[in-house]
Amino acid sequence: MAATLASANPFQPGGGLHPCQLRAQQQAQQQRASQSHLSSSDTNSQPLISSNRKLTLADFRRVRTLGTGTFARVVLVRPATGTESDRQKVYALKILRKTEVIKLRQIDHVRHERAILSDVSGHPFITNLLASFSDTDFLYLLLDYVPGGELFSYLRKWRRFDEDMARFYAAEIVLILEFLHEQQGGVAYRDLKPENLLLDEEGHIKLVDFGFAKRLGNNANEKGNNPVETYTLCGTPEYLAPEVIQNKGHTTAVDWWALGILIYEFLTGYPPFWHQNPIEIYKQIVEKPITFPSDPFLSPEAKDIIKQFCTVDRSRRLGNISGGAAKVKAHPFFRGVDWDAVYHRRDKGPIVPPVRFPGDAQCFDIYPEEDVGRDPYTEEMRDRYDEYFKDF
Amino acid sequence: MSLPEAYQKEIEALNQQLLSFNPTDILQFCADHFLQRLASERAAFLASNSSASPRKTSDPPSPSMSNPTFTSPFGSGSNPFGSGNMQNVIEEEDDVVGSPTGPSFGNKATPAFKGPFGAGPFGGDSSSDGPPSAFRSPPNADSYPAQYNFNRRTSVSAESLKPVADTDDNWTPPVHQKTPEQLARLKKAIEGNFLFSHLDEEQNNLILGALQEKPIPAKDIKVITQGDTGDYFYVVEKGKFDVYVHNGPANELGRELGNKVTTIEAGGSFGELALMYNSPRAATVVSAEPGCTLWAVDRTTFRRILMESTFARRRMYEGFLGEVPLLSSLTAWERSKIADALETLKFPAGTIIITEGEPGDSFYLLEEGEAHAFKSGNSNPVMEYKKGDFFGELALLNDAPRAASVIAKTDVKVATLDKLAFQRLLGPVEGIMRRTRYDGVASGVEDVDPLSAPA
Repeated sequence: MAATLASANPFQPGGGLHPCQLRAQQQAQQQRASQSHLSSSDTNSQPLISSNRKLTLADFRRVRTLGTGTFARVVLVRPATGTESDRQKVYALKILRKTEVIKLRQIDHVRHERAILSDVSGHPFITNLLASFSDTDFLYLLLDYVPGGELFSYLRKWRRFDEDMARFYAAEIVLILEFLHEQQGGVAYRDLKPENLLLDEEGHIKLVDFGFAKRLGNNANEKGNNPVETYTLCGTPEYLAPEVIQNKGHTTAVDWWALGILIYEFLTGYPPFWHQNPIEIYKQIVEKPITFPSDPFLSPEAKDIIKQFCTVDRSRRLGNISGGAAKVKAHPFFRGVDWDAVYHRRDKGPIVPPVRFPGDAQCFDIYPEEDVGRDPYTEEMRDRYDEYFKDF
Repeated sequence: MSLPEAYQKEIEALNQQLLSFNPTDILQFCADHFLQRLASERAAFLASNSSASPRKTSDPPSPSMSNPTFTSPFGSGSNPFGSGNMQNVIEEEDDVVGSPTGPSFGNKATPAFKGPFGAGPFGGDSSSDGPPSAFRSPPNADSYPAQYNFNRRTSVSAESLKPVADTDDNWTPPVHQKTPEQLARLKKAIEGNFLFSHLDEEQNNLILGALQEKPIPAKDIKVITQGDTGDYFYVVEKGKFDVYVHNGPANELGRELGNKVTTIEAGGSFGELALMYNSPRAATVVSAEPGCTLWAVDRTTFRRILMESTFARRRMYEGFLGEVPLLSSLTAWERSKIADALETLKFPAGTIIITEGEPGDSFYLLEEGEAHAFKSGNSNPVMEYKKGDFFGELALLNDAPRAASVIAKTDVKVATLDKLAFQRLLGPVEGIMRRTRYDGVASGVEDVDPLSAPA
């Protein structure tokens, strides 16, 4: 199956891209020696990633695993062939196991992930899809490597963030949601949480894992009658919006609810609704008003924005109400934020990850490298399901 | 002293790799190589102890709890070195924080593993970076909720469902016959449950109809087993069931029941999480006496019933809204937002829904039944409303008093929205009206709605 290139040209320099990524892209595009001490002079080989070149797993050398799940694993890879400078490049390769995708009935989600990622590539705070391909057993998404690791790890290590830090990350997320909801035709992300926010080399956010993202359509100029709400329950228990739990049909408004939970967790170190038994979490989300601890002290502005996001009534939920993201940006919690500077990444993040060289993976935890006990992808499965994966 | 044999083996392997790849950046290559080696070695080590690692429960159907959980790739709690359980994390709160994201983060149980670069995962001395400015001391650690789980949280997902209208199949909810007494008992059993309490009568009736009888003839029958995949929710109609929770290693599950934590009697229920998504059972439930009766419904049936009815109602609302001239310029997305916020109210026959002369603040769509509009001094209705009609929409536009009263002729069900909710969602109606040339429509509204006061 031919590798398909993301529709936005990933090698287009500019667009507020991180200098580190820019560097990688220039290397690929111009095939010149980078100024990095890691590279030697280059010859005239083909670039690894191009729209007319078929990628396979054999094109990559696995360095180590960056994260795992039941049907997916993300691996840091380097090109296996090419010039020495080609082989110094690093990418994140997300590997999805077809059998598990089918077994867990996640085919639609995987297809949405591939399609939406390619549509949204190029945003300064969203992970960049470079290519996708597949083989007998697996689907592959080739992504820019984001070396700073998960914001989750920093948050847990720090226990909590002060309001300036929380504001910095929240502001970048507001721009992501504005982009997804209002400029991308109603894309709901549906799995916002610190685990899905990576930090790049300068400490800016990169949103990863679009496995639950779905295009719902919200084009304000469109008068069609397609439903815009969706019904599949997905997300992370502590971050689920009440309308998801209650099966009411949900929309992009779920992401604003989750942002409220996220800011709360940034500021206190834990989410507002928590219990060892997930059912109790869901009861709390649906029935219990959000409460704040006396310590740490949260400013009235912070409490207010959290409460306004975490409002059960969607006709009152900030972000979902008239004005959309613009109204969020105007909230007192974000007073003084220069939104243009945020978008253009003019300031470094409050945490600058200790990344020592482009392929440094020390900010990621260590995971087992081997899958165990997996069912094979049978010929029947291939005959029945492979057509669903043809976009890879 | 000679070098350890294990070391020499590693070096030989590295030499082999070096020869076959012939890299120019030797140091980088070696670093990558050993990282890979370390990861696979640790993985092998873990595979031999895997069941000892505590894990969040959201597993796919799998006989062993030691499989990685269903999760997004970054969301797994299966990291061997970071998966310290609660106690470990809390103990660590006293520690000086050396590094923010070390591989051994949060787990004192593996102190030997300090990361591949020596002193610490961030290898203070081998890195040219100083500590990032932000890595001062952490905020005070205190006042966490008891038992808070600091591990990565697993994503969950139900099977994707599409409404019948979007698919080719002709799904209809199953109906299993019940006596009126049984129905009454079952209704009472589920009404307090938060997954059912917000449902309307129609949805409730469909769910009750779909409950299927499961006779449990003997004592000691396992209805659900801890760790197994869960698809059904159960209501106890008759008999008693004991609930056991086993806290030991996952691989002992199935051999031991664990501790009895509670007993569920007639009118009780269990297994509700299975109605949300597929997750392993958190307990084992066993019949405590012979001759028990359970009623069960599975997740797909439950979710489909709710989805189909919600979907149908929303399309109905959107259809109604499309008929309101004042709102004719709304996009599908905006109509959907309004449909989100509509509230259902029921009025028995004869009730006054809105009163002439009172200020109007809400707008109504007639969902079921019939209603009449009356003006004072006139005993004949000036307007009749049936399903799909609407009244009082000028309240969205201005605060003029109601020009007529609307009285329910039969029992009616209306969907209503107040002006403030409308404005919160979409801004002032005037702005919506301005989108289209609204000349002449003002009188059209007058024709349609007798409640509008003459301008």
